[in-house]
Amino acid sequence: MTDLIGTLPGMVKSSLESEENKLPVVETRDEFDVEISGTIGKPLVQNAKMSSRNCDVFYGDKQAIFNINLDIGKNEIIAMIGPSGCGKSTYLRVLNRMNDTIPICRVTGEHTLDGEDIYAAEQDPVLLRARVGMVFQKPNPFPKSIYDNVAYGAKLHGLATNRSELDDLVEASLIKAGLFKEVKDDLLMPGTGLSGGQQQRLCIARAIAVDPEVILMDEPTSALDPIATATIEELMDELKENYTIAIVTHSMQQAARVSQRTAYFHLGKLVEVNDTNTVFTNPEHKLTENYITGRFG
Amino acid sequence: MQLGKHISQRFTQNLEDIRNKVLVMGGLVESQADNAVKSLLEANAELAEEVSISDYKVNKMEVAIDEQCVQVIARNQPAASDLRLVIAVVKVITDLERIGDEAEKIGRESIKLAKYPTVNQLHAELSHLSQLVLGMLHDALDAFARMDTELALKIVANGDLVNKEYNNLSRLLITHMMEDPRNIKSVLRVTWCARSLERIGDHSRNICEYVVYFVKGKDIRHTSLDEVLADHFPGEMERKI
Amino acid sequence: MSDTTTKIIKAGLKKRYAKEKRFRFFGLMSIVISFVFLLVLLISIFSKGWSAFQQTYVKLDVELNEEVLGINKFSNKDALFSARYKKIIKNSLKKKFPGVKGRKQKRALKNLVSKSAQYELRDKVLKDPELLGTTQSFWFLAKDDVDVFMKGNIDRTLPESNRRIKDYQLAWIDQLIAEDRLEKRFNTQLFSASDSREPEQAGLKGALMGSLFTMLVTLSLSFPIAVAAAAYLEEFAPQNNRWVDLIEVNINNLAAVPSIVFGLLGLAIYIGLFGVPRSTPLIGGLVLTLMTLPTIIIASRAAIKSVPPSIKQAAVGLGASRVQVLFHHTLPLAMPGILTGTIVGMAQALGETAPLLMIGMVAFVAEVPGSIMDPATVMPVQIYLWSDSPERAFSERTSAAIMVLLAFLVMMNLIAIVLRKKFEQRW
Repeated sequence: MTDLIGTLPGMVKSSLESEENKLPVVETRDEFDVEISGTIGKPLVQNAKMSSRNCDVFYGDKQAIFNINLDIGKNEIIAMIGPSGCGKSTYLRVLNRMNDTIPICRVTGEHTLDGEDIYAAEQDPVLLRARVGMVFQKPNPFPKSIYDNVAYGAKLHGLATNRSELDDLVEASLIKAGLFKEVKDDLLMPGTGLSGGQQQRLCIARAIAVDPEVILMDEPTSALDPIATATIEELMDELKENYTIAIVTHSMQQAARVSQRTAYFHLGKLVEVNDTNTVFTNPEHKLTENYITGRFG
Repeated sequence: MQLGKHISQRFTQNLEDIRNKVLVMGGLVESQADNAVKSLLEANAELAEEVSISDYKVNKMEVAIDEQCVQVIARNQPAASDLRLVIAVVKVITDLERIGDEAEKIGRESIKLAKYPTVNQLHAELSHLSQLVLGMLHDALDAFARMDTELALKIVANGDLVNKEYNNLSRLLITHMMEDPRNIKSVLRVTWCARSLERIGDHSRNICEYVVYFVKGKDIRHTSLDEVLADHFPGEMERKI
Repeated sequence: MSDTTTKIIKAGLKKRYAKEKRFRFFGLMSIVISFVFLLVLLISIFSKGWSAFQQTYVKLDVELNEEVLGINKFSNKDALFSARYKKIIKNSLKKKFPGVKGRKQKRALKNLVSKSAQYELRDKVLKDPELLGTTQSFWFLAKDDVDVFMKGNIDRTLPESNRRIKDYQLAWIDQLIAEDRLEKRFNTQLFSASDSREPEQAGLKGALMGSLFTMLVTLSLSFPIAVAAAAYLEEFAPQNNRWVDLIEVNINNLAAVPSIVFGLLGLAIYIGLFGVPRSTPLIGGLVLTLMTLPTIIIASRAAIKSVPPSIKQAAVGLGASRVQVLFHHTLPLAMPGILTGTIVGMAQALGETAPLLMIGMVAFVAEVPGSIMDPATVMPVQIYLWSDSPERAFSERTSAAIMVLLAFLVMMNLIAIVLRKKFEQRW
């Protein structure tokens, strides 16, 4: 290539040799200002299933989440991405009051599910968690049989009155989770004996057996191999028809693959929420851009 | 005015390398076009010969850059601006390669035209069109090198000038052919050259559109200029008026 | 890796391996030493106690003379019960060894068989009054001195004055042996009888039952209390609370309190204040509960803490309440650890003597306790009592009792292992 440079016209030559021989700069809003002054993009939607207004979360004296306003639309998959410690998991746990189990954790702001205040005094967290299910990072089936794992939630809430109803419910849940074919002959085997991907699908089956409206997923595939990951992603796509899904993920490709909207969290603040297409091709905020393109220190 | 580097230095290097290669390719293509026009206007068969056989360099570079872009996509999965850069580059080099082809065509015609004096009679008109087009190509490459959207938009807006000039030249050439049918053969060749020049102008315009795509993240192809300006360059609109 | 680095590492390698070898040697030595100590203990106990599982019996021809007894087969039960069987035994011995003179020798002759012989005879007659008037051969328990001699623990080469068995007694025994009238059999007495002043009649059943009842009381009190306390402290108590910390420190301290203090406490509170009857398995169990509680609480807390939080979260995420999480998941998963702690605590309690001395369980109890309210003694106290007795025959019984206690402990540990295996689940 060097032998070519000598023969080039002046402009290109000077451009190649000059100090500015760096990657070009992209215009983003807040170009010189990385301070986060409110969420940009489209955090609010028309047909919100769940929504938060002015959400703050404190761990003791430390504030973990700052003034988040976000809607989660009906039957959409919203992905929450951001560097570690950005508060995305914490926010996810706000949505089904899992933070209640941590004594020093305090949540403020207004949070609604179908317009109902989920932090109201008369709201029962047990009922809420039945409506807003959760799937965790590490597949955590109970050390019981596959059948008992799926049936647990239903038994807990008394969703089935007799054995045959329970059988049907377990089967339906396993079918929805795409696991039934693989395990139908050993429903009484321990759930912990399944492979990682199957375990996670078992956890999903367990969650949907309670018939929730929203499913929260906290890095559901981070412990799985790519094939198992793909299976779960495919499953999410199917579940979207009946459920609203919020997923926290560290894999940007995953967020790009499965979600309709993507929310980017940074240091406890919600920086940008936009259509996934927009976020991954033309994010508005510089911080989002930096994170997505891998420019973060 | 720089974005922070990627955490992966190799990624940054790869992207910089790609961009530098595009600039080199652009320089090569520009000099090919320059030389082609020069050989045409000066009836320099030797130079024309050189232009027509140098096109392989451009083709080779296109293949090399294409390959590197595919590798970056496969290995680094670029997103956002990085993704737009790679996509823009892939498209820009296609246009550059076409410009190289057009320059080669002009070169081949020039070899044959060098024997006829016809060109001399059209020198002024051809020279006007070619300067316009070459300027456009130069500016487009400049806009790409500096990722200058203002310049790029200006070039897109001036695209009509080339068309107008080309139409004028066409009419003139038709008159020439009617005047003396013996000239038809050579004038036809000149027509093809003019056509090639006009194509170069179009490709330059495309390059500018990719610059805007890369910087703004908006595809402005097949959109009316006024719309583009209204949507993305409110300030520009007023200045134009 | 550069050459110098390789050299430096190589130079250090030898030293490292030497260190490793040394450490492994020390570890092995420690195991050998503790094993030797254990072996010495076991050998000394087994060699001494082994013989206690056998007991000498004497065969006597008894003539159930109706006149001597003053009854016949038509007599009523009371008469049969209180007849003079002692005389029959005496006559039988006299007949066997005629020409015994002097009170001393006569008493010695009588002491060839245990005092229980007359009762055995009585029981036989009661069972079958048809025996009356006939002459029968029966095996009777031999007196402890005869037993000790038969087991080779009396040296006949010693001068007569230094021997517990005199020459004339030796002659009788030799004659009995020659006539095959002395025999060593398995000592069922040890397991079927309760404590007695006579070594040949003394058994462990009373102490075993006492221990069993005491353990039942201890288990049924300490297990639920300890598990509830541990579960509360781990799952429900406010974190970083000064009171909770204080309780925690105190529980840990309690585990280190000398056990006799618990005995004093039991004496003062249970017996003094609440009037719980002393010497019973109930009071013993109450005191031992106090002692085992900290052990089980600490073990249970550790077990509960080790239950993976992901399982609890999963249950909470499905809408289980905290108590449901505890009973459905946390406790079942912590059960192996809790059980291990419980069995360790129970084993400790089983072997405990000091606090029981304080609450009167050291009493001589000749009856087998039938409930937790009957006076009783326990295994370790029985061992203590026997080891304190002057009779030579008690020394082997002491060792035998220790062996039985050890067998009990081994069994409890086996149960612990089996339960662990049963409850253990992978997660």
